[in-house]
Amino acid sequence: MADHNSLGEGGQLSEGRSEAGPCDGTGECRACSRMLEALSAKVRSGGRLSAGEALTLYRQAPTHLLGQLAHQVRLRRHPEPIVTYIIDRNVNYTNVCVAKCNFCAFYRDVGAADGYVLGFEEIFRKIDETIAVGGGQLLLQGGHNPDLPIEWYEDLFRAVKGRYPSFKLHALSPPEILHIARLSQLAAREVIRRLVSAGLDSIPGGGAEILVDRVRRELHCHTKASADEWLDVMREAHRAGLRTTATMMYGTVETEEERIEHLLRLRALQDETGGFTAFITWSFQPEHTERGGVEATGVEYLRTLALARLVLDNVDNLQASWVTQGGKVGQLSLAFGANDMGSVMIEENVVRAAGAAYCMDELEIVANVEDAGFVPKRRNMHYEVLGDPIVRERDLPRMLALATAREPGDAAVPAELLRYEPRSRHEKARRRSPADE
Amino acid sequence: MTTGDLVQTAARRIGAGEPIPEAELRELAALRDVLGLGMLADSARRRVRGSRVSYLRVADVAGDREPSQPPPAAREVRLTGPFTSNEAACAAVRAAKAVAGSVPVSGWSLADLADVGAGAPLEERLASLREAGLDLLSEVPLDRLASPEETLDRAAAAGFTGIRLTVDRAPASARLDLLLLARRLASRTPAVAAVNPLPMVLSPFRPTTGYEDVRMVALARLAVPATVAVQVDWRRYGPKLAQVALTFGADDLDHVSADDGAAEGGRRTVLADVRRNIEAAGFEAIERDAFYRCL
Repeated sequence: MADHNSLGEGGQLSEGRSEAGPCDGTGECRACSRMLEALSAKVRSGGRLSAGEALTLYRQAPTHLLGQLAHQVRLRRHPEPIVTYIIDRNVNYTNVCVAKCNFCAFYRDVGAADGYVLGFEEIFRKIDETIAVGGGQLLLQGGHNPDLPIEWYEDLFRAVKGRYPSFKLHALSPPEILHIARLSQLAAREVIRRLVSAGLDSIPGGGAEILVDRVRRELHCHTKASADEWLDVMREAHRAGLRTTATMMYGTVETEEERIEHLLRLRALQDETGGFTAFITWSFQPEHTERGGVEATGVEYLRTLALARLVLDNVDNLQASWVTQGGKVGQLSLAFGANDMGSVMIEENVVRAAGAAYCMDELEIVANVEDAGFVPKRRNMHYEVLGDPIVRERDLPRMLALATAREPGDAAVPAELLRYEPRSRHEKARRRSPADE
Repeated sequence: MTTGDLVQTAARRIGAGEPIPEAELRELAALRDVLGLGMLADSARRRVRGSRVSYLRVADVAGDREPSQPPPAAREVRLTGPFTSNEAACAAVRAAKAVAGSVPVSGWSLADLADVGAGAPLEERLASLREAGLDLLSEVPLDRLASPEETLDRAAAAGFTGIRLTVDRAPASARLDLLLLARRLASRTPAVAAVNPLPMVLSPFRPTTGYEDVRMVALARLAVPATVAVQVDWRRYGPKLAQVALTFGADDLDHVSADDGAAEGGRRTVLADVRRNIEAAGFEAIERDAFYRCL
């Protein structure tokens, strides 16, 4: 039996036996009920949760209560019964990565036979396919490939904007920006400036994992970006006028307190800059990763999502992660604080490599939104409503599986790579080999 | 009745152990608030079952093949495949019994047995299957029985217990009526042990939704008598939906694989995964046998 948790001054959690006697931690005893009632009242009146209060709610509130509170906060922020989604495509321009995060099943070492870099023409083809189904943006992310200098990204962005002037590039998470900065020996601010000048429209919130350095060291992702570095890149991006998203990947080695610390660090930066348009959380997908283990359950996802809605009182939009949770829990997210169904995606490589292979096309997203009692609307990255579903305007072929970056066995090396000076020993050797002469 | 009054009245009835009248159930079914419905169902399930969730480990055996020894963890051997003739079914049962040992053997849908046109009457078919050693019927699909009361009476008269009322493929809009039928059948036939309100036949082009599934589970819990388990098929619906359904009134996970070698999710065993999901939802995992007895 656990003792009652009690809230000290400033809402800090302290543990100790209260006068009401021991409790079983279920939130059903008198003292817990009183505490949950008080916290519920605080949330309903718009009060800001402290770390201790958030922890108490996460640990002790029944799942339905957490959901109801999150839904009430969502309705306060978005009174209209609209659920948005975006038609864009997740493109991973390279899987070659030197970061070696132990939770990632997607990356390949430099020189690996199945390592790839997409050619510009391949990316253009993906853009054409995206536009054909009503999309207007790429979510472009990739590994930390030492053979791609900043000029490669600039040339790609300029080429995309030259061909598709109104098409949006939501690209390069903070660790990628840092990787480019280190390769180029430039400040992150300068990298952002140059990329924006080349056509970068916004930055995705990937690579945040848990913004606590103890956790990042255990996940082998501290060197790609410490918690402070991740936040600093976002701060610079916001100051440069870019909007970004924020994410959290939970369910590895972090404690519940560290999840809440992550949320509080995001909330603090949002207070400072207001630059986050949305927050997306998902559970660690363990298959084929070095870390391994098990995935957090669906109920844990819904509770974490609801808690995020309660803590992140200054972030407008919360996405449902149907790609990791499946369509059903993805839809139920709409009752637990989410107001957005994320992206149609079209293509996905990263969580698929780790065992998640869910797919929802626009028709299914729309059906799920309507079945949950909401009105589906297409949006852009700024969460401006673009209109009604494309499937209402024209027939689109059903999509029962997400596409991948490349067909298996396709080891083509794009010709334009030769324009850039290689950095890795392997790539230098490859270029010297007779096959490439 | 306002929504608030409706929910409060239902909560009071649940607290007092009273059945919720049909008219009120229909109003509850129309509620948009899926979490409110889930709260009611959760309190109904906790009143009846506390925090216990049972699960059953099943070895599926194709009825038209030579059966092999079931895994030691099997608590039920379930014969699958179409019911073609009584003779073939009886032969499959005898073959399964020969390898199953003391593990109960189940098979077929009562609707399939009732649908086979010419030949012996249903009573005789049921009796011969019992005589061959069939312990349980796999499914009693509410949406496929032309005369549910009469057909179920015949199954009970033949000695079948532990009856699972299921839904074959009825759309969500038709399923509340089926749950009300389940309530009537369970009230008049003590052999009814469980209701599984989610469709057994799934369409890849029009899958059921999460809202639809948990709403049906919650309504099932509110509709059927307290003695009847509300179950979800673990293999058909998967860990995520099955686990969430536990917080919406389900108290039994059916069709958990008996084969720990066939891990559903890679590096963990099926058993570990089931127990972890039950416990992570705040419940106590209890294994049961085919006759709903806790082990």
